[in-house]
Amino acid sequence: MATAQKTRPTWRAWQLSVRAAAAWAVVAVFMFPLYWWISVSLRHDQDIFNKPPKLFTPEVTLKSYKVVLLGISPSSTSIEKSGAVHWGESSATFALPSLLDSVYIGVASTLITLAVSLLAAYALSRMRFAGHHHFIFWVLSTRMLPPVAVALPMFFLFREFGLIDTYTGAILIHALMNFPLAVLLLKSFIDDIPREIDEAAMLDGASRITVFTRLILPSMRGGIAAAAVLCFVFSWTEFLFILSLTQAGVNTVPVAASTFVTSTGTAWGYMAALTCAAVLPAFIFIVLVQKHLVRGLTLGSLK
Amino acid sequence: MKLVSVFSPERPWVWLAPLVAVLAVFTLFPFFYNIYLSFHEFNSFRRTLVFVGFDNWKGMFEDAKMWRAFSVTLIYMTVCLSVQFVLGLGLALLINADGRGYHLIRSLLLLPLVVPPAVVGMMFLLMEDSQFGVLSWMLQSLNLIAAGAPLLTSSKTALVGVMLADIWQWTPFMVLIMLAGLHALPKEPFEAALVDGARFRHMLFHLMLPMLRPIIAVALLIRGIDLFRVFDYVFVMTSGGPGIATQTLSFYTWKQSFSFVKWGYAATLSLFSLVFLIVVAHAFIRAAKVRW
Repeated sequence: MATAQKTRPTWRAWQLSVRAAAAWAVVAVFMFPLYWWISVSLRHDQDIFNKPPKLFTPEVTLKSYKVVLLGISPSSTSIEKSGAVHWGESSATFALPSLLDSVYIGVASTLITLAVSLLAAYALSRMRFAGHHHFIFWVLSTRMLPPVAVALPMFFLFREFGLIDTYTGAILIHALMNFPLAVLLLKSFIDDIPREIDEAAMLDGASRITVFTRLILPSMRGGIAAAAVLCFVFSWTEFLFILSLTQAGVNTVPVAASTFVTSTGTAWGYMAALTCAAVLPAFIFIVLVQKHLVRGLTLGSLK
Repeated sequence: MKLVSVFSPERPWVWLAPLVAVLAVFTLFPFFYNIYLSFHEFNSFRRTLVFVGFDNWKGMFEDAKMWRAFSVTLIYMTVCLSVQFVLGLGLALLINADGRGYHLIRSLLLLPLVVPPAVVGMMFLLMEDSQFGVLSWMLQSLNLIAAGAPLLTSSKTALVGVMLADIWQWTPFMVLIMLAGLHALPKEPFEAALVDGARFRHMLFHLMLPMLRPIIAVALLIRGIDLFRVFDYVFVMTSGGPGIATQTLSFYTWKQSFSFVKWGYAATLSLFSLVFLIVVAHAFIRAAKVRW
């Protein structure tokens, strides 16, 4: 009797811990590439290439971070033994400017996107007009444009206006890229606010613009934050437009990372250090808006 | 006229005007310019665009490399979408539980989403190195591939190598969406089914999946569109090689415009992708009744 009563909760506890173990095992598999990348960023050059690979970093060094973020000359810090990289000049490995470029382009393009999208999202949520449904569909369809199909016409347009390889050009193209996401997402957040609030305020004599600035905007701060973070992250990770529309003058992190690949070899340690430093802030931002993330990733379709 | 009266409820277009203006630049201009370009070609001797009529369009339908790129793209899209969906749903079912640990797991799964795809490509490029790559070494230890087998430089396995990066980065996206879907499901039908002695497999196929249908449709649509436009991984991992084994339509188009200066042909290819994507996506939206 006593044993039968005891085994049941134990069996249940077993099930729970097996499930937890399985979940953590899967997470470990998914985290492994990141662990490896961080570990590469902390290794000496000769420890990156081993046969078989060393799973644990033999000797942790911050050399790559110093070179990439502080611009300390690699020749004075590295011991080049293996088939790793030999860089002629240290200026090519100093990548802090690309991090700053990424921040600048990300923040500026996000602000532009939000300003324009908020107005449009309010109109789409609150006002009905002919072609309302088609308009939303048009906004959605712009997400289907392959970036290559936009890059070439934009290349000619930018060349005409002298925007190739400028911050203005990069900011504009990232802002344009994020409009569909921001409009649809913000509209879904405004849809959450009851219409009665608008109507009551307007009965009391408030104008649309007052309702928008005094009522709607303050009550959707969380939604605006989520939209801002997603726009920023998509600008932060974008590759093709910066690759096609800028040269040496503008360098965001993904493009800068790809320039560590050279004909004489790839500076894996520097590349890993730069991108690990770049991923951390984006991760913190996205965790902060985790609650709204699914809605954002599905363009406001799922709440 | 005062600002207040301009932004009156009867004038939605005033509110929409900035958006319409920028979307026109972003969508209408590229669209019509691509049409214009597709009837021209850059002549490198005269350094100017020359009218070529339907040559680009005729050439495209006869271009074996283009059809190869198109089928590579479709294979890439289908395989990645299926794997990401099945893995994503499975994982979501596994971690759809309460508790501090599961909350941490959900946060950790956001990490792959903030790594730039081009960087993910490079991470996997290093890990899939046939001599020193840790992933190659693991696959060899598990006897899944032969020792020293070149994962990315063999035309048989290169596409799989690229897909691994995509699957790693975007499976968490599916997990997050499926988790949200599972979270919103009502409890009662499942409890009733349990009381009736239903098996897990029956509950999955007859209850859960039908109830998740709208969410699955949105997830497949958004992921499918992005998969069809794949560029970054291919660019950094294989540049379409070896040969043209991993050359996707996006990459082929990019090469035509920015490497070969075949602007007219690139525009034709762009229009083809665009029309294909819009037709398929809109058919899917109708068939699956996706709402916005």
